[in-house]
Formats: sequence, structure tokens, C-alpha cells
Amino acid sequence: MPTLEISCKDLSRLLGRTVTVEELDDLILYAKGEIDGVEGDTVKVDQKDTNRPDLWSTEGIARQLRGILSLETGLPDITIEESDVEIFVDPALADVRPYCVNAVVKGLDIDEAFLSQIIQLQEKVALTYGRKRREVAVGIIDYDRIVPPIYYRATGPEENAFVPLSFSEALTPSEILSLHPKGQEYRHLVEGHDVYPLLVDSEGTVLTMPPIINSEHTGKVTTETKNVFVDVTGYDIETLKTALNVIVSAFAERGATIYSVTVHYPGRKERVPDLTPRTFSVSKAYVQKTLGMALDDRDLVALLAKMRYDAFVDGDDIVVSYAPYRDDIMHENDVLEDLAIAYGYNSMVPDVPDLSTTGRLLPLTSRLLIARELMVGLGYQEIVTFTLSSSEMLFERMGVARPDDVVEIENPVSASWSVLRPALLPSLMAFLSKNTHNDYPQTVFEVSEAARIDESQETGVESAYRLAFAACSATATFTEARQALDAFMANCGIAFEVRGIEHPSFLEGRVGAIVVDGIERGIIGEIHPRVLEAWGLEHPVAAVELALERLLE
Amino acid sequence: MNNGTVNALTNEEKKVLLLLLSSETGAASPEALASGDMVAVAIHRASLGLASRGFITIEESVKTTLRITNEGEELRSVIPERAVAEAIRATGGTSAYLDELAIDKRLSGIALGWLKKRQWAEMEKEGGRMRVTLTEPAIEALGRPSPLQDALERIATEVVMLEEVDASIVSDLKSRKAIEMRTERTRTLVLTDAARAVDPASIIIREEVTQLTPDLVRNGRWKDVQFKRFDVSVPVKPLYPGKKQPYLAFLDSLKAQFVALGFQEMRGPLIETEFWNFDALFQPQNHPARDWTDTYRLISPKQGRLPDDGTVEAVKRSHESSWKYVWDPEKARNLMPRAHGTCLSARQLHAGVSLPGKYFSIARCFRPDVLDRTHLIEFNQIEGIICDESLTFRNLLGVLKQFAEEIAGARQVRFYPDYYPFTEPSVQMSAKHPDLGWVEFGGAGIFRSELTRPLGVEEPVIAWGLGVDRLAMFKLGIDDIRYLFSDDITWLRREVMM
Repeated sequence: MPTLEISCKDLSRLLGRTVTVEELDDLILYAKGEIDGVEGDTVKVDQKDTNRPDLWSTEGIARQLRGILSLETGLPDITIEESDVEIFVDPALADVRPYCVNAVVKGLDIDEAFLSQIIQLQEKVALTYGRKRREVAVGIIDYDRIVPPIYYRATGPEENAFVPLSFSEALTPSEILSLHPKGQEYRHLVEGHDVYPLLVDSEGTVLTMPPIINSEHTGKVTTETKNVFVDVTGYDIETLKTALNVIVSAFAERGATIYSVTVHYPGRKERVPDLTPRTFSVSKAYVQKTLGMALDDRDLVALLAKMRYDAFVDGDDIVVSYAPYRDDIMHENDVLEDLAIAYGYNSMVPDVPDLSTTGRLLPLTSRLLIARELMVGLGYQEIVTFTLSSSEMLFERMGVARPDDVVEIENPVSASWSVLRPALLPSLMAFLSKNTHNDYPQTVFEVSEAARIDESQETGVESAYRLAFAACSATATFTEARQALDAFMANCGIAFEVRGIEHPSFLEGRVGAIVVDGIERGIIGEIHPRVLEAWGLEHPVAAVELALERLLE
Repeated sequence: MNNGTVNALTNEEKKVLLLLLSSETGAASPEALASGDMVAVAIHRASLGLASRGFITIEESVKTTLRITNEGEELRSVIPERAVAEAIRATGGTSAYLDELAIDKRLSGIALGWLKKRQWAEMEKEGGRMRVTLTEPAIEALGRPSPLQDALERIATEVVMLEEVDASIVSDLKSRKAIEMRTERTRTLVLTDAARAVDPASIIIREEVTQLTPDLVRNGRWKDVQFKRFDVSVPVKPLYPGKKQPYLAFLDSLKAQFVALGFQEMRGPLIETEFWNFDALFQPQNHPARDWTDTYRLISPKQGRLPDDGTVEAVKRSHESSWKYVWDPEKARNLMPRAHGTCLSARQLHAGVSLPGKYFSIARCFRPDVLDRTHLIEFNQIEGIICDESLTFRNLLGVLKQFAEEIAGARQVRFYPDYYPFTEPSVQMSAKHPDLGWVEFGGAGIFRSELTRPLGVEEPVIAWGLGVDRLAMFKLGIDDIRYLFSDDITWLRREVMM
């Protein structure tokens, strides 16, 4: 979700009407935004729709709001002049970064507010819509410093040294990848190829090295810049065209003139940008039914016009035209949502559906509830802890070897939360270790999910509910835990036996496996003093852990 | 004061009352009443009980007695200045050289100071010798016994109260460190007029019992014994009951509410394939939300299994035709701790839904956040779906409003446009909570048909998710979200469950 900074004054100027920050708070919702902060005239806007890059600039927001405020409705009028500028695409880039689309924009009058929007839009389009420059990289070049035609061509890593943005010396492409901060950040997008993409003019001047960095000489836009050359590169030409349309439409909002150019791809050529509207048909009946409202034809057309569509009714359908800076219209619901937004969500009458259904908890949930109530009845305090833990807590402190079936996170935020626990008892020990200064006796339990690798499962992991309880006091003994276990199991109607075993977490001779129908389903015992020491506990602990879900099935 | 009142007294109280009634004055100190039968502590305890019931008053007095010191004992036999004066008189005159008197040097040294201070003598140096000449008051004083010695004599041999001795003499003796003062508080138990009228014969001392035992009940002896009175206002040691964890108790109550609203519970695995977490929800594989920094990945295990080929193929087609990229089944097989509860809804759609059908889940979810007072590393999401051919967008608004009223107790709601990759139209709701004001309460939308069709559902599906953590925090009275997973047993013990 892109976050923008816009100036309220700048927006007012573009709208042709003053809007206050307070008004914007409500208005911005119609442009799928939400105000996240205000600092003087600067408003921070969270743009929620990741598929509407046309709304990621003051220009785009102004275009949308003019419709909502009925200052200007229907398709925006963006005219394109033809130029004879040509761009030649090198077939050698087919496997590297095959496509570029371009435009020339003239007659810019750039102030600080405009400049910041150019930079911001270019950045957000490449970051979010362009998936961190992989799908779309945008370069904006000072047109007065280059001489067409322009060549999008392959360069060897050690050829064509140029001065990259904010540097003072010429570097070769391979030096840029290793030395320039942007080179380091984005080199994975070109590395592994013998050649890298480069945009040069007819005199051999480097414009930009997509998708890495512009040249310091040509690729720096300032408030002095009058005319620009826009460069968009990537893999999918339709995506690139949409991105180009988003950018030139924003320039058009500022009164600049857009010129199309001819791009020569291997074997064919195309004139871009092309802002010919696209059409989409929506069934009137579907709209009425889905919104649950009987809107007449005139309402439908007027509402769509507010959302910058041209629309007309054609029999049972509404045919809408929309500007091709949008590529998010894939389904009738995409148009329908715009209709609903224009109508106003809060103007609709909410209608609780009259559907007769029977509510039900999962049988397991009902059983777990009873199990928890039994533990509460036995005087145990319920706790809830995190599923994520660490090897240190789960195994080292418990004095056991790390098993092979541990589910482990590759990119944990901290080593403390890097492993999914296979059992709950270590979490109980951690809890007790945090409460050594509080009143004893402390008796606690938890019923939660734990996880271990199990190849037979669809997700390779078995996650199942377990029960663990622990009594910690100066007089805690095996007998105390056994009494609670007996009472719990009897009330669950589960017959079991306890079979003596050896386990490094427990005192020798005071630990047993809980066996149900011949299968070990849990463990009971007095925690070994060595383990108590590892947890910083001075009071003995008698504890039980059960694979509860298996027992309740 | 009747017999009933008297016989409601404890045995200790009765015994003290009897002792006082048998004394001549009807008053005595606790010490005076103490005996082998009743130690001072018992008398003290009984006297408090008697006083609280109006049988006695306890009068407290402060008494200061004088004690003679070692220096005082010396002074009692010899007063230095008097010894010197008497030695001068023994020479026959009223004046003498100090060195011609038969007086110990140390004593005469002390005496000179006092002779001067009391103006008993005048001192002159004559050719290196000290001449001492007695004054009239000294000569007169010698004719009487020494009042200092009289006082010391009394202090040494009997108990002398501070006020019995002339203040100037006390001051003199104190400056000579001859006496010490000792202050004692004394209590006197004094029968009230009402108590004086009690007939000692009416006071019956019966066996007194602390614990009512089964034996006492069984053999009827409870009728003959007296039960010791307890001070019921005294605090006792705390008792901690077994309790549900407050946050889980809150979630339990929500589950009950959803069941009451006709929802069936769903469940899914903690570890999910990306297929169910993202792909089945129409989130393209190159979507920024699927980025490394926003989701967890696993070292082990790495990959799970995809569902049936038909479903996989349908999801693949849906992605490729809408998002225009090559869908990779290998990426879809990658495993991750589930990042939201919506994957449970996708699984439910695939498993099959009733029409009409309502489903909900409360699912533990994982996102790579740092644990602090506003972020948890794990959290619970409440999500659900409603499926029926008849559903409309206004139904969706109706359902959300119903949740806000039932769950948050809200009277007002506001809807905002929103964006989720899997719903269109999408909506966000704020609810006006009676105490918290406007709270962002939930998000919802109609599932995109690009999502539902590949999973085998043609009918409209409303999907919703509610943020209840703020409500839970309010209910639990906390402003630090970590308390939802509290590791503080004292807080858990104190948390009110109602």
C-alpha cells in the first residue's frame, strides 16, 4: 500500500477550488485514500488500492475529485500530439529486459510541489505497481539535453562508462552495480546476464541504465527543466503502457503537452503513448441485483461520470469507456464498486440478510472448552503464550536434544521467535520463570496448538491442540500432578495408565509416559532440578503434557 | 447489662471481669491481675474485648520515676562543696587556705566550682596559695541537713515520682548526673458503672472451642461449649481460584455470539501453503504483499502439497488471464505460518459450502512484527463468509452493522471504500463504541468471482474480518497489547472476570 505526501494547497490549485484538510479527510475516501497524518499543509495519504497507480499523485487525486465534486465529469480530456521521435530497441535485450515504451512531454512549468510529485509518482509506480522495479522501471530525462533518435540497447558490463546520478565520476555498468547505492539495491534484476540495458541518444550520450540509475548529466529533473523524455522498461508491454499512461496523464493535469513517439521493436513498431479509451460492458440487471438497489439509467450514467467514466445504456447493458491509465477493470464488480463509491456507501440502507442457518462450533472446540473448564475447576490458572519460540527455550533449557521434526522459520524477526513449538511445557516453564517474585503456589495450564513436521500431512506439518499443566510450589510433587491428571482424565472419560520412563527433563524415578490404548499420549513428572536451575526457578514443579486433540478425537 | 451480654463474653474476658469485680476498687492494672492462670497477653486481649463491649474503660497514665546513678551514690555520701565548707569550719574560723585542709585533691577541685556557683565562698590567691572564705549563706546552710542528700536518700531507697521532688533540686541533681528519669506508661482497667452491677455469680465459665468438629456435632456437646468469637473484620490470606485466561474468555464469548448469529466454525492448519494463503485468494505471485519482508518462510519443511489438479488448474488460469504472468505451482507449494485467517474461508469454499451458508473462524496468525506495546508477533483474526445466491452489497453493509451492534455495542457505524486483493467491492467499517468512540472495526467485501469460481462456488460470497483486539484491550482494561498474552500471574489473578 503506497503512502503519499501531497500538499493541500497544490491539490486546491489543481482542483480549481480550495479544499481544507478537514474536507479532504472525507473526500480522499473517494480516491481510495485515507489520511494518515497532517503536518501543516502536507498531508500523508495511505493509498489502499495497489491496482490504481493513477491515484498515486496529487494530479491523479485531483482528477478523481473533480469528478466527485462535479467540477468535471466523464472521461478526462487528454490530447496527444504526434512527434517524429524514434526509439530503437536492441533484440539483444530480449532475455534481459526486452521492452521499453516512451513519451516526450513539453511545456512543463515545474515548481517544488510539482517536482516532488514527479519524483514520488515515479518511485511509487516502480515500487508497488512495478514490483520493486522488476516489472516496471521509470526514468525521466531532461529532453533538452538529448538528441533523438534514442537507442535502447545492450551494453557490455565494462563498456559505456557514464556518470550516474549524484556521482561525479564516470563508472562502467559493472562498477555501478557494485559501487552505486542503487546499483547495490537493484543489481539482482540484471545480474547473471552478459549484457545490461542502456538508453543512449544519437550522439552516444547515456540517458539511463534501466532499471538501475539515470545519468547525472541527462537524468536529473529540476525546477529549471522544461521538456522531458519518459522511459519505462520491463517485460510485459501492456503493463509498461499502463505505467506510461499513468505518468503522462499526471503531466497533462499540469497543462503540459504530451507527444507520442515511435518505438521500433524487433520486427514491428508501435506508437506510444496511446490514450484511446477502452470499453467494458456491465449488465444492468447484475448491477441492480448485486447492489440491491434499483437505480435508473440516468442515475447509473451520472454516477459513472463522477468516477471519470463515459457511459451509455445499450439495451440490457451499460457500456463504459475508461482511460487506459487503468488496467484494474477485470470484472463487472470493478465498475460496480466505483458506482457504489460514487453513490456513497453511507447513503445506502444496510440490509441484514434474512438467511436461516444453524450456528455450530466445531466438535473439537466444544470438547476443548470442557477440557479447559475441567482444568479451571481443578484450580489451575489458564494462560496463553506464543506458538513461536526458540531452540534455546524449547530444548536447551529443558535438557533435551533438538529433534529432527522441528518447524523452523527461515527469516525470523528475532532468534527468540524462530521455531514453532512442538510442545507447551517449555512455554509454561517460561511463564513460571517470569513469576518467581509472585505468590506461591502457582498452578497454571494452557490448551493451544503446537506443530511438528509430518510428511503425511498436506502442509508437511501436523498442528494440533495440546494440554500442559504445571504446579509450582515448595511442596509440589509427582502425586499432586498425578491427582490432577487422574481427575482430568476421569472426567474426560479416558482410561489410561502411567508407565515409568526416563526423560532428561524430569527427575529419575518420578516420570512416566501417559499411555492410552497402548499409545504414549503424554508425559507426567517432577521437573529435574537441573532444568529448574536453567529456568531460574527455586520451587519444584510437577507437570503434565498431553496430546489432547488426539485423545478427544 | 444482662446475663446474655455477660455470657457472650469469651472465657478470658469473663475471668478478667471476675477479677475486677472481686477487687476492692473495681480497678487494677493488667500486671496486677496477671497470674499463672492468665498471662499478660491474654489479659490485654480480654481487656480490649471488655472495653469494646462497655464493661470497662482503659485508663492510660504516664508515670516518671527518678533513679539514682553511680555518681548519685557518691554524692549521697559526700557533697564536695559541703565537705570543704565543713573542713573550714572545723578550723574554727570562716576562712582558710585550701592546702591546709585535710581534703582529697580531686574532691576539692570539684568543690571549688560548686562553692563559686552556689556563692558559698570567695576565692583569692595569696602568694601562690588559694584562700577560701565562706559566705553567710554557706554558714547558714551548714546548720541544716543537705536537701540534695535528703532527696538522694529517698530516691535510693523508695520509688520517687518526678513531681514529688523540688524542681530546682531535680535540675541540680541532673546537672551532676546523679539521677536518671524513667518514664512508664501504665494502664488501669476500670469497671464501668454498669459492669459494677453485674452479679459475679451470674458469670458462668464454660469450655471454649475454636474449631467446630464433627465430634462436637455428633455427640451434641456443641450445646455445652462456648465458641470462641472471631474478629470477622480481620483480612485473611488471599485465595487464587482457577480461572480462564481473560483474552481467551473474551474470544470464547465471541464464538458464542457468532454461533448465535447462525455461523458455523471453520478450522485450518497453522502452517499453510502459499497456495491457500495467497494464490487461492487471487493474490498474484509477484504482489508486494507476498514479499520476503512481509511474510515468514520456513527452513523446514519447505513445501507442501497442492489440492486436486482441477482446482490448481482453475486457479492458475484465473491468475494468468487476469494478472498476465506465468503462474508458478512451485511457488504455490511453499509453506509459511498463515498470515491471515482468510485462507480458512478459501479452504471452506473449496471443501463445499451450504446455501445459504455462514462460516466463521478465530485463527492464530503470524506476521514478522517486532513485539511491543502496540504489536504482537502472533494475533487472532476473526473472519468469516456468508454465501447465498440472493446476497447484495447492502446485505454486506447490514451484516457489518449487525456485528458492530452485537459485538461492540455500537449504535452508529460508518463505511469507507477500501481495497483487498480478494474482494470487490470492498468496504471498511468504523463503529462508534459507547466508551471508545469511533473504532476501526472491520473490513469486508464481496469475494471476487476470479477467486470463488476456481474454488467451485458460483454464488456471491460476502467475506468479512473483524479487528477485535482494541475491544478486547478495552474490556480487559489494558493499554499494552502484550497483556493479551500476559506472562504476569498477578495480573491474571487480579483481572475481573465479569
